[in-house]
Order: sequence, then structure tokens, then C-alpha cells
Amino acid sequence: MSGLVTRRTVLAGGAAGLLAAPWVARAQANTLRIGMQSILSGPIALLGTSSRNSLLIEQDRINAAGGFLGRPIEFVFRDSKGQPQEAARITRELVNSTGCELLIDAEASSGSFAVQEVVRDLGTIACIHTNSETSSLTADPKIRAPTAFRVARQGVHDAVAGSIYLADYASAKKLNKWATCSPDYAYGRDTTAQYLQFFKQFKPDVEVITDAWPKLGQPDFTEVITKLIQAKPQALFTLLYAGDLSAFVNQGNVYALFSQMMVATPNVDYPVLAAIKNLPPGIQSATRYLETFPDTPANKEWGQAYLKRWNERPTNWSWQNSVAMHFYEEAIRKTNSLDAKALAAALAGMKINSPFGADGTITMRDDHTTVGYAIGWGQTTPKEPFIIDVKPADWGKIIELETEWKKQQKYI
Amino acid sequence: MKGHPALRDLAIAAIVLIVVLAVPAFHRSPAFEDFIIRLSAMALFASSLNLLVGNTGMVSFGHGMFYGFGAYAFALTMQMTELSLPVAAVLAVALTTFAALCVGAICVRLSTDYFAFITLAFQMLFFSIIISWQSLTGGDQGLRGGIPRREIFGFEIGSQLRLYQFCAVVAVLGLLALRHITTSPFGQTLRMIRDNENRASFLGVVLWRARLQAFTIAGAFAGIGGVLAALFVSGAYPELADWPNSGQAIFAVMLGGIDSFLGPVLGAMILLALNDVVTRFTEYYGLVLGLVILAFALGLRRGVLDFIRLARPGRAK
Repeated sequence: MSGLVTRRTVLAGGAAGLLAAPWVARAQANTLRIGMQSILSGPIALLGTSSRNSLLIEQDRINAAGGFLGRPIEFVFRDSKGQPQEAARITRELVNSTGCELLIDAEASSGSFAVQEVVRDLGTIACIHTNSETSSLTADPKIRAPTAFRVARQGVHDAVAGSIYLADYASAKKLNKWATCSPDYAYGRDTTAQYLQFFKQFKPDVEVITDAWPKLGQPDFTEVITKLIQAKPQALFTLLYAGDLSAFVNQGNVYALFSQMMVATPNVDYPVLAAIKNLPPGIQSATRYLETFPDTPANKEWGQAYLKRWNERPTNWSWQNSVAMHFYEEAIRKTNSLDAKALAAALAGMKINSPFGADGTITMRDDHTTVGYAIGWGQTTPKEPFIIDVKPADWGKIIELETEWKKQQKYI
Repeated sequence: MKGHPALRDLAIAAIVLIVVLAVPAFHRSPAFEDFIIRLSAMALFASSLNLLVGNTGMVSFGHGMFYGFGAYAFALTMQMTELSLPVAAVLAVALTTFAALCVGAICVRLSTDYFAFITLAFQMLFFSIIISWQSLTGGDQGLRGGIPRREIFGFEIGSQLRLYQFCAVVAVLGLLALRHITTSPFGQTLRMIRDNENRASFLGVVLWRARLQAFTIAGAFAGIGGVLAALFVSGAYPELADWPNSGQAIFAVMLGGIDSFLGPVLGAMILLALNDVVTRFTEYYGLVLGLVILAFALGLRRGVLDFIRLARPGRAK
């Protein structure tokens, strides 16, 4: 018996050694590993997969150009399943045991805050958050981390831009009675409140006559739709997104909701459009990512390259991840180093050319967040390009009101 | 040695602690250190649950509540006060103990099935409070802003190595204390209640009081686990207090062995290692975990340590 156990032990040890060998070998290679973590499974896996797709395109492009510091780059993708404590663990694992020298945090907001704390804790790694839109991640100096940056839309920027556009539109069309319908969790409630705060600032006579808070991932919106129709608002503002938004539009079509009130949403993206059977015309919508806005050859070319490679269109998250790699590329070129502090010093205040910039550039501000990216509002049309008459937002106004908001929050 | 089990346990604990603390002196592996930090939290959590499940026969589905309570109480105390880390930790554990006493006072008189349900109900209630009380807990975004790492008598736990040492010491001392409780006359009483509550009652044991004591002690140790978890993630998140987390502890107990003191520790080790390895290769972690649990349930029909003990009856105690 003991002989058998010994043999088994030897076999098990050998097998473990064989399994471990590639890891050891890979760790010794010259490849520069970049850790990327996101939600890659479950109902909002699109967040992670469309980020990953874009990063793989960047990986090929950067490696074809000689890599970073002469070393080929390789992404290590990890799925946090959207759980903050798992996100924290993965960040540590990527740095401590997988040997990643740079981080891309493509988590949703709750995960990003957990990653932020670990990055602050480790203190020796540069990290770019690519998907969290919650303003306080970088706006609040207590939460901001010295080596962590954000390349993504920011809630407060979108709220200002959207509110200005919608206030003008509502004044022109005399729409005073509004309803809101947003997902029932922190993002939905906080961001709706933020939009309404700015909206009422620009159009004080606006009145919210009803609100609905469906659960995230709710399959049946009948109750919500009938509640909204019965309240008879002139316009509806919704922060539903991804599968929830397409389900809401599809079910709203059955009740002819879109002919009874004007609908406005900042969350229309290509995959949402693809999932809507009959896109109603005239929905007032922001451009999260649109090949035709900014209407430049570079933007069109990037969108088409993504479509060709993955046989699906990019999301807002895709361009954000792509730009994050552009920032890393430029910072490494400038500093000739991967040192987190050196990279952080180079990134703060950096301006790069980008197809996704409102004026062809995007700036990483000193408070570790990007400004100058394309924000526009237009209206939907059932056929390509899906959103037309896009009006670009005024970045001067956005920054002015953002500063005011930061003062209110006592961030500055 | 055989005549002094408490001394033997103490010796084993000392050896384990010396070995664990000595490892970084010979080889620094951040991955291993992280693993031990997480294992410390999870081992205390699962072992405390086993005080209820394995020792007393009380299957609690809501034990994660106290793990989350400890994490939130500690993180909030550290953020909102200037108290030192050990004082904040002791305060957090004291608050968790009090919460466990209150919840236990309502739950322990119920029969097994209803006890399981009502503990789950309390956990869901607590989870809802965390989600709703945004101004205090940060809602579903969790408690952000980090936990200030203050010194403990000149011992600064800001670095990973110090956190590792701190967690290892707390976990070993915690497990030793739990071991002492399970082998004490009180622990024997709990097992008697588990095996035959009528007989225990006839012998003069006040059932509800013993159960309440066990429930409160288990809550306190889960709270210590929560404090370590909060230190590891540098915050507190609602998932720590959610029911799948209670499920993780139940899995750890079942995988490792319900009748062995170190069973839950081994189970926690298996679960954590499985998570770390499987998520490197596939996004279908849940599927793999399900298959492994199925294999254990159908193949071994008991936890690993229980299986080994039964397979080697000469060494079983």
C-alpha cells in the first residue's frame, strides 16, 4: 500500500511539475506582460469581451511596431465576475504572481474602486482604468491613487453635455413634464440625480412627474412601461443600458411608447442597436461610440478594422481601451521606462492625437482623468448610421460646470 | 504528549506559525503570501461555521453576515475614527459578537430547517441594509477610500509582508482558540446536543443557552475573518456579506471535512486554490467548481480529511 502511495505521490508531483513548467518558462521570457481584468462572463460580459477585442488589436499593432522598450507585449486576461473582492485579488495576482508590469483595469465601477485600492497599496505599478465612469474615482482626491489613471467617459461630463442638449431640445419643443426610468442601483440613481440637477439648472420649469426603477437585468418591463404611459409625461429620460435598454425598446414598441412621448438616453451603443428589432426614429441619443462621430477617416477606419477582425461592431468600451494603450505607448516612449512613478509623471497632463478626440486630441488631465473625447447628441434613425444630426458638446462649458460640481462636492 | 492534547495543539500551532513566518526569510513569493492572507480570513470564517455545523448540528446559511459585519465594522471604524488598528479590530469583533448575540437570540430556539431559513433571512436583511444605506456603506459600490494602515506598537502593516505576518498570527491564534473551545467541556456539550438533544436536556443542559453561546462565538470568529478580509481588499464590499459567501464557507466545510477540526481549513485551501488556478484557464469557473464538488460528493461521500481519517481507522480519534 505504501509503495503504491509513493508511486502515486511521485506521479502527482511529476504531473504538477509538468503543469507548472510552462508558467515558470513563460515568467522567464522577455515578453512584457500587461494584466487586464474585467467582467468576461455573465450577462454583462460584453463589457469585458469588447474591451479585450480592442486590446488584442492594439497588441498586434504595438508588437508589429517593435513592442514596448523593444519587448513584445502580451495581455493576461482575467475574469473578476464583477465581484469587487475578486477584482482586488486578481490585481494582486496579476502583479505578484503573473509578473505583469502594467495594468489595464477594464472593470465596471464597483470593481474599479477595489482595484484602485490595491494599486494604491502596491504603489509600484501603473494602472489605467478604462471602463469606470463614476466621477469620484479620480475626482475625489481621497480616492485618487498616485499611479492610477482613467481613460474613459466620466459621469459628470456626460451629465453636463446631455443636460445642456436636452434643455435646449425641451425648450424648443416645449417639453416640461418628464419621467425617468433608470436601473435600481447606485449608477442609475446617482447619475439620474446628477442629470436632473444640471437639467433643472438649465431649464428650471422642468417637472419630473413619475419615475421608475427597474432591477438590473429585469426581463419583463411591462409594469414599468404601463406606469410610464399612464403618467402621460411629454418626455422620458432613461439610463437603462446594454441588454436592458434593448429589451425596454423592444417591449416599448409593443405598447407604442415611443409615439406617446419623446425619449432620451445617453446609452445607445452598436450592440444595443443590433439587439433592437425596430429602432424607433427620433430617440434623442448620445454617441457613446459612433463611426461617424467624429466624422473623420481615422475614426471610420478604426471602426471598420474592428468590425473586420471580430465580425461585430465596437462598443464605447472598445475605444476607451484602445486609447489607454495609446497613452501607455506615448508615456513609455517619453520616459523609456516602466517605472510606475515615472509613467505617472509623464501621463499627468499628457495630450495625444486620437481619432476619438473632439478636436483630434485627448488630454490626460492632472487629476488623472481624460478630457476632450468626443461627446455628441443626436437622434436615432432606423438605418445606418443610426444616429444623425449629431451636435458636439461644448467642452469649455463641460469643464466650467464640472469645476463647479467639484467645489460643491468639496473635492477642490 | 498524548495525555495533554492542549499542549500538543499548542505545539502544532507554534510549529505551523514558525514555519509560515519563516518562509519569507528563505523565499519571497508574493503570490504565496497573498494566498496565506486570504486563507487566514477564509479559514477562520469556515472553521467558525463548523463550530455550528459540525459541532452543534446547527446548519447556518447566513454566516456570511458576520464575516461582512466584521469587515464593514472594522473598515468604517478605521475610516471614521483615529483609533489604532488593534483597537479598531477589537471593537469591530465586539460589535460583530453583539450582533451575533442579538441574531442568535432570535434564531437558536428554532428547529433545524427553520433555523437555516431564518439565518438566511437575517443575512438578506443585513445585505439589503448595506445596499440601501449608501451614505454610510457606499451601497453596491462598497466602502471606498481605503483603510488607513496605522502602526501596531511600532509594527507598521502597510507592506504585504507585514500584513502576511499579521494575518498568519491572527489566524493561528484564532484557530487555536477555536480548537480549545471545541475540545473543552463546552465543546463536548455542543457535540452531545448535536448527537442527542433530548439526552443533553435531561442531563441538565439548557439547550438554547448553549446554542446561543456557540452561535455568538462562531459569529465573533467569522468577524475576525472579516477584519482580515477587509485588510486584504483595503475596503469592504457587499459581496462579503452576501449569501454566496455563506455558500463558500459551507462548501469549504463540506469539502474539507465536517468531523475534523482542520477540515474547513483544508476545504478553504482547496476552494481558494481551485479559484486561483481555474480562473487562469477558463471563464467557466462555476462549471468547474460544480464538477469538483460533484466529484467529492459522489466519489468520497464526505470531506477530504474525514475520508482520510476513515480510510486509516488506526489513526482516527
